[in-house]
Amino acid sequence: MANFFPRWTNFLPLKIAICAGAVATGAVFAFTYYATPKTLAAGYQPSQPIPFSHKIHVDQLGLDCRYCHSFEDVSGTSNVPGSNTCWNCHQHVRKDSPKLQPLRDRMDPTLKSPDFGKPVKWVRVHKLPDYVYFNHSAHLNRGISCQSCHGDVDRMETVYQKNSLSMGWCLECHRAPENHLRPLEEVFNLKYDPQVYFNEHQAEMQNLGVKKPEDLGKVLKEHWNIHSKETCATCHH
Amino acid sequence: MSKRIWQHPEVPADETTVSWRSVGQLEDTPHFRSWMEREFPQGVAEMANEEDAEVSRRSFMKLMGASTALAGFGLAACRRPESYIIPYNKAPEWVIPGKATYYASSMPRPGGAVPLVVTTFEGRPTKVAPNSLHPDMSGTDAFAQASVLDLYSPSRSRTVLNNAQASSRAEFEKVLATVAADGAAKVAFVFGHDDSPTRARLIKDLKAKFKAAEFFAYEALEGTQVLADGVAQVVDFEKADKILSLDSDFLCLDGQGKTSAFFNRRKPEGAAYDKKANPDSMNRLYVVESVYSMTGGMADHRLRVAPSQVLRVAAQIARELGVNAGSAVEAITDEKHLKWIKALAADLKASGSKSVVLAGSRQSAAVQQIALAINAALSSAAVKGVKRDTSGLGNFDGLVEKLKGGAIDTLFLLTPANPVYDAPANAGFEAAMAKAKTVIHLGSRTDATAHKATWHVPVTHYLESWGDGRTLTGVYTVVQPMILPLYGDCVSELELLAALLTADGKLITGETADGKPSPAYDAVRATFEAIGGKGDEPWKKLLRDGFHAKSTYESAELTAAAGTISAPPAASGVEVIFSTDGSVYDGRWIDNGWLQEAPDPISKISWDNAALIAPETAKNLGIYDEIVQLETERAAKSPDAEGPQRTGPLIKVKVNGEELVLPAMIAFGQAENTVVIPLGYGQGFDKEDKFNRNAKGNSPASHVGLVGVNSGFNAYPLRHSETKYFATGASVEKAEGKYPLALVQEHFAMYGRALAREISTMEDEKKGDFAEQLQNVAKQGNDAHAPENISLYKQEDKKGDPHLSDKIHQWGMTIDLSSCMGCNACLVACQAENNIPIVGKEQVMKGREMHWIRMDRYFAIEKPEAGKEKDVFDLGNPALVPQPVACMQCESAPCETVCPVNATVHDQEGLNVMAYNRCIGTRYCANNCPYKARRFNFFDYNKRNPLIAHNLYKGPFGEKQVGTAPHLQRNPNVSVRMRGVMEKCTYCVQRLKDAKIRQKRGQKQEVLLTGERSSQLSVSNETLRIPVDSVKVACQEACPAGGIEFGNLLDEDKSVMGRAKKSERNYELLHYIGTKPRTTYLARVKNPNPTMPDAPSIGKATIHMH
Repeated sequence: MANFFPRWTNFLPLKIAICAGAVATGAVFAFTYYATPKTLAAGYQPSQPIPFSHKIHVDQLGLDCRYCHSFEDVSGTSNVPGSNTCWNCHQHVRKDSPKLQPLRDRMDPTLKSPDFGKPVKWVRVHKLPDYVYFNHSAHLNRGISCQSCHGDVDRMETVYQKNSLSMGWCLECHRAPENHLRPLEEVFNLKYDPQVYFNEHQAEMQNLGVKKPEDLGKVLKEHWNIHSKETCATCHH
Repeated sequence: MSKRIWQHPEVPADETTVSWRSVGQLEDTPHFRSWMEREFPQGVAEMANEEDAEVSRRSFMKLMGASTALAGFGLAACRRPESYIIPYNKAPEWVIPGKATYYASSMPRPGGAVPLVVTTFEGRPTKVAPNSLHPDMSGTDAFAQASVLDLYSPSRSRTVLNNAQASSRAEFEKVLATVAADGAAKVAFVFGHDDSPTRARLIKDLKAKFKAAEFFAYEALEGTQVLADGVAQVVDFEKADKILSLDSDFLCLDGQGKTSAFFNRRKPEGAAYDKKANPDSMNRLYVVESVYSMTGGMADHRLRVAPSQVLRVAAQIARELGVNAGSAVEAITDEKHLKWIKALAADLKASGSKSVVLAGSRQSAAVQQIALAINAALSSAAVKGVKRDTSGLGNFDGLVEKLKGGAIDTLFLLTPANPVYDAPANAGFEAAMAKAKTVIHLGSRTDATAHKATWHVPVTHYLESWGDGRTLTGVYTVVQPMILPLYGDCVSELELLAALLTADGKLITGETADGKPSPAYDAVRATFEAIGGKGDEPWKKLLRDGFHAKSTYESAELTAAAGTISAPPAASGVEVIFSTDGSVYDGRWIDNGWLQEAPDPISKISWDNAALIAPETAKNLGIYDEIVQLETERAAKSPDAEGPQRTGPLIKVKVNGEELVLPAMIAFGQAENTVVIPLGYGQGFDKEDKFNRNAKGNSPASHVGLVGVNSGFNAYPLRHSETKYFATGASVEKAEGKYPLALVQEHFAMYGRALAREISTMEDEKKGDFAEQLQNVAKQGNDAHAPENISLYKQEDKKGDPHLSDKIHQWGMTIDLSSCMGCNACLVACQAENNIPIVGKEQVMKGREMHWIRMDRYFAIEKPEAGKEKDVFDLGNPALVPQPVACMQCESAPCETVCPVNATVHDQEGLNVMAYNRCIGTRYCANNCPYKARRFNFFDYNKRNPLIAHNLYKGPFGEKQVGTAPHLQRNPNVSVRMRGVMEKCTYCVQRLKDAKIRQKRGQKQEVLLTGERSSQLSVSNETLRIPVDSVKVACQEACPAGGIEFGNLLDEDKSVMGRAKKSERNYELLHYIGTKPRTTYLARVKNPNPTMPDAPSIGKATIHMH
């Protein structure tokens, strides 16, 4: 009887097994990469009812974060400004811009718009699950800047989510807060550069015993008695 | 899943205390055994059989397969749903999104306003707490805590009704305008018994405008008034060393003065635990009553007598004291009672002006007169009379008479009572009311009265309206709105009166169209100007503090209206006691889910009422065996084919020519030959009702909401004008059938030795004197001989830091059993703070209640030696010991080691934390918890309405309650838990977090003030530590007895909690199993009078559960 199966088939089961294993591993890797907050959430950039540009207001005009997000260092939630905050300036500035029409409709009674008095529905960009408690003031008052989580908001034309905001990402910083700590005076300075700060404050750095810019965080952590927690109740209750 | 059984040593031979939770345990039925040994009763965790279950295993697999396959197609659109941030258009001042704002206000109550601080989030009130600045602050009770839920209640009345048909506010306004226009109109007003200075002022104006106007006050359980019109008695417990209560529940339902002073004197170390334990500083409480009340549970000596005998006892006490009152009343002949009374009288006499006798408001005028006479004879310094603003209001009998005589055309029913339902049956109120041409009812529910009235107008909640009130001693206290009325039709009492006072009767509510405040605001402000002075300054101070300090009632003579005390008619047959209910009061709270589900503090029944009978009486009536047996038997299948059902046998109570069929329960410590029927239930029934009670059409479901429907049995028809609170000559017989009861007394039953510990200030032969007993508190039960446990677990983490490494905060709690009366205030406060859902009667019956605090209630009695039963004073009067148990935050927590997914772990500050989102619901932790403090979400109680019949079992098809009003009450800082996760007390971790973050912020402000560079600043542990005792947990805050202390263990003696832990009375619950709990208890101290015949058995109720 002739051999039904040629010789090369001897290793076929093994090859199939290896291939299947490779495909399965690949699928797992692909899933972990593509279906985690890193790719699902980061980069989310919805369009807003009014195309507000942080770049113009913060980077070019130099507005402080707290002009609009006035309670971010007081409250757990960083507030989004009410239309009256926008109206403070925009009843005088850029009175004809079509982009600001929704704001005028809401604030200017003479236009008699049906939207008058209604709030603006901003699309939420950064969203944590309901079972996560995050407190803005706890971070801003202890030397963590807006930038650490939100990225270079000051240079964003339209706001997008820079970081994954996943639990692993939070813990990364909670385990080593020194990488993000900066002097309280610099928390709202979105152009902060440790090197520049180091160069400009030589005497202060010497006083603190900071030899290179990277060490500043460590010294601040010690000075300020910072023990960022990793237990569940820190964020979940 | 049976719990690991801890082999307790045999009961020591010298152990004489017998303790029990329920009649089932006393009789040691197998059913109770099962509750003790299991976390949940048999069958609770499983569906009874697969066909009845919503999906079988097989179809579940099919569904899952299909949905996985479909998920592939759906992935393309797997983008996160858009959500929005909607800021204010014009941001109001003082509102910081995400931060709570607190306002001082108060809750008007018949016994005096309750001063409150209300927590609001973005203008939405979520929680009330006592106003600690207020001189009359005495905590809050369960009713005050639960009142915030009523604001958002879905069953709240929200539209105007005309003859029970939906109408409009505009129509009603027309009617009001015609009344207002006619100065000669024959109008009458019926108010509640709360005292509002503004209302009193407006009444004067109304009298001037409407010449024929009549004014009345009515509440169902208003009691007997013997003092002159408008005069009330106020007790200062600080000055009372010896207190005798003649059926007065002055600690809970029958308030007569600020109770915190009473509770402070139950702690031998003083209220702040800063003195050496001194028994002489304690007060002594004698109680004569028929059925256990909260006050009776606190008594050092308690005498149980039938209601008809209270007068005889009172008269005998007067006789012994040489007071000439009630001499016509027959003397006590019972030897034991006589001895008890003699010793009591001697003790009262010895303390002289530091003694006080309090008669219950429900008691007859005779008993109250005797109490007044005794106080006068003792020249008691603790009582004084005050003149309330409520004088000049007619009573209920006068109202009915005027109505019958046709003297009233337009009747305004502004009382919170529900007279069509709760007036005495023979008073004929309904018929009399029909004689008035127009009846205008202002109420929060569409109850029986609302349906019978010509007009029903929804009333605003006290958190939505301007008003004022006075506390018991008369301190002027403001009621300020937190929010505009949720529903446009709602009107407040003051707004209605203000509208009547205007020429055109224009009704303005909430605020005017052009944004001016309501006329009630102007009225209150005008009243206050006369009291606190003109101008903005005093007014602003009033709004900030909530009260005006320099205002009290004028004092008044405490003399009874003349009347001779005659002997009571001889009692025959069984005596019936119509009791005020601890959950629904007189019936007004029937639609409040928190109160309905909170088990009655004594009987431990929720969602219903039942007839309570003492065991001996039940035996005599031949129903005892049936009750005990049926309580333990499981019906074959409940309507949902799931879990056990507990039933009570039905009995028929006949009294005053009426009869009522209701289930019976055994109650301990109740006088023999009595039946207690709590009032306020049975207001509405739908077709789900087992007895088809809505067929007659007199109590339709429309009278109540989803919470109150089919709940309990209405005892009001049994009540006559002469027998409002007690009736004699009743007969009790067995009736056919049984009724399911949600009894929680055996749920989560712990076992162990010396759970609740009690000592006595009196010397005992075996236990020694007070000092010795105090020393031995920590050695009671197994703790005397069980060796210390050695932990097998490492005490430090990988880095070598101890697990409890935080050097800034280490949290701890003490619960003082000496001042805890078991009133449920903490339980409801916890529910409000922590978003705890209600689960409904069916689920409670299965042991699935979600309360984080379990209010255990034990009974205990000294077992007499064989042959000496006769010497015992009263075997039917066991001591009542309450013990609240929540998560103990064990340092070596058994729950943590068994969690397969690390969902419950310890943090560095000593909290046993629970990560809901990580929990997969194995329930191993609950099984391993020796305190049974963990609760499991068997269903999505928060999302699917558990009150709609069978709704939970419909899974995703069940009716949702998301987005309806009750969700506005939720605390935004606490996760709303979903189905399938475990939960438990967290020490209000959200409050701790808030305090810590605030402290950190304060530190930054300091830096900025000094003007230095922030990097130069060094922050120490002391800077980051929150100020001593600056954070209060919800249960502690609410406790009217000051029984719960919470704080930072690292504050040591500076914290009240730290000092309490140093007390010799401090002990750990189940210390001998080595869990090292952070919550500890302080033993209960009884202060008996050694000359009393029952003294030897007092102060020994240490609870052992074997």
